[in-house]
Amino acid sequence: MTPEQHALHEAAMQAFLAKKKYKAAVRRQKDEEEANLGMTSLMDIVSILVIYLLKSYASDPVVINPTAGQKIPFSSADASIQDGMPVFVTVRGITFQDQKVVTMTSEGEVDPSMVQNHLIGPLFDAFSEEADKAKQMSENRGVEWEGRLIVVGDQSLKFSTLIDVLFTAGRAEFKEYTFCVIRKG
Amino acid sequence: MAKRPRKKTEEKVVEANLLPVMNIMFLLIPALLMAMEFASMAAINVSPPKFSSAPSEPTEEKKEQEKPLDLKVFIMDDGYRVEASGQQEGADAGKSADSSKPTIGLAKSGAPDTDYDRYDYAALEAKAKEYKALFPNDTTVKISAESNVPMQVVIWTMDAVSGRDCKIGKFMKGTEDIPKNCYFWQPIIEGGAG
Repeated sequence: MTPEQHALHEAAMQAFLAKKKYKAAVRRQKDEEEANLGMTSLMDIVSILVIYLLKSYASDPVVINPTAGQKIPFSSADASIQDGMPVFVTVRGITFQDQKVVTMTSEGEVDPSMVQNHLIGPLFDAFSEEADKAKQMSENRGVEWEGRLIVVGDQSLKFSTLIDVLFTAGRAEFKEYTFCVIRKG
Repeated sequence: MAKRPRKKTEEKVVEANLLPVMNIMFLLIPALLMAMEFASMAAINVSPPKFSSAPSEPTEEKKEQEKPLDLKVFIMDDGYRVEASGQQEGADAGKSADSSKPTIGLAKSGAPDTDYDRYDYAALEAKAKEYKALFPNDTTVKISAESNVPMQVVIWTMDAVSGRDCKIGKFMKGTEDIPKNCYFWQPIIEGGAG
């Protein structure tokens, strides 16, 4: 490279660096642009979601949330569930008012020590307590207590267990029983 | 006179502040999810066995006309035992009940207990239809079962005796009469044997 060529190269290099520096300075001086989130499309999605959820909103007076692993029986019945107290009877236990009252044996039956002539002791206590409360509340409101028990059973629940639960409820002064089922089709 | 050119005014688009609306929407979603019905639930109203009935004084003629059917369906391990007016259908001559053989056998004999389709629901429904034709005013049926019969079988038995196309939802609300394809839709649960 001749000295002239070298000098030309140096000058070009310096000009390039100066331009780069200037650009960087301009960039630094520029105000940062505010990022605007596109709300309209998000709003559309959320509105559709809310409408869908409102459509599938449970209109029944009692919302039944089955316990883990519970398989509610299927049926062709279409009558809607009326207001009452739900009891969840599975092959693992009996849950009433969010409390596991009875634990079943490995065969899916109530522990024989808890049952006496079809009466399940701990369940009877829980039923009686709630029935008394409900009766008191109905009395205060001046309406008659309907005494409806909603039995949320399990597909594989044994008939003998079902009878024990119904018998116990009868002794605790529940008068009407309803089996909760999943509407087929 | 020459018209003065109108100044072009740019309309400013005012963007609505959607954030508060979004906040409410996002709060609504979990609230609605909590109250959402994931599966459509229905109810089957059952009655416990009645041990006493109110005494009435029907006339002799009425007594004869309204002789109760007293339909009973007993779910056994090998099928259904159907009883009407205290007489089991299919029992040996001179016997009111015969526990050795069912009135309606299994649809799938040899199927495991966990196969809920092993019972002949169609045959039971046909039988209920026959009885309904003879006793059009009767609506109750007593259902009992052996101790190890699963609840799903009990429910499908109730469906079969009431008629699988029977829809009483509107009748329960009081907006319609009971449909004609409903047979015995008031089940009474009775304790079984064993």
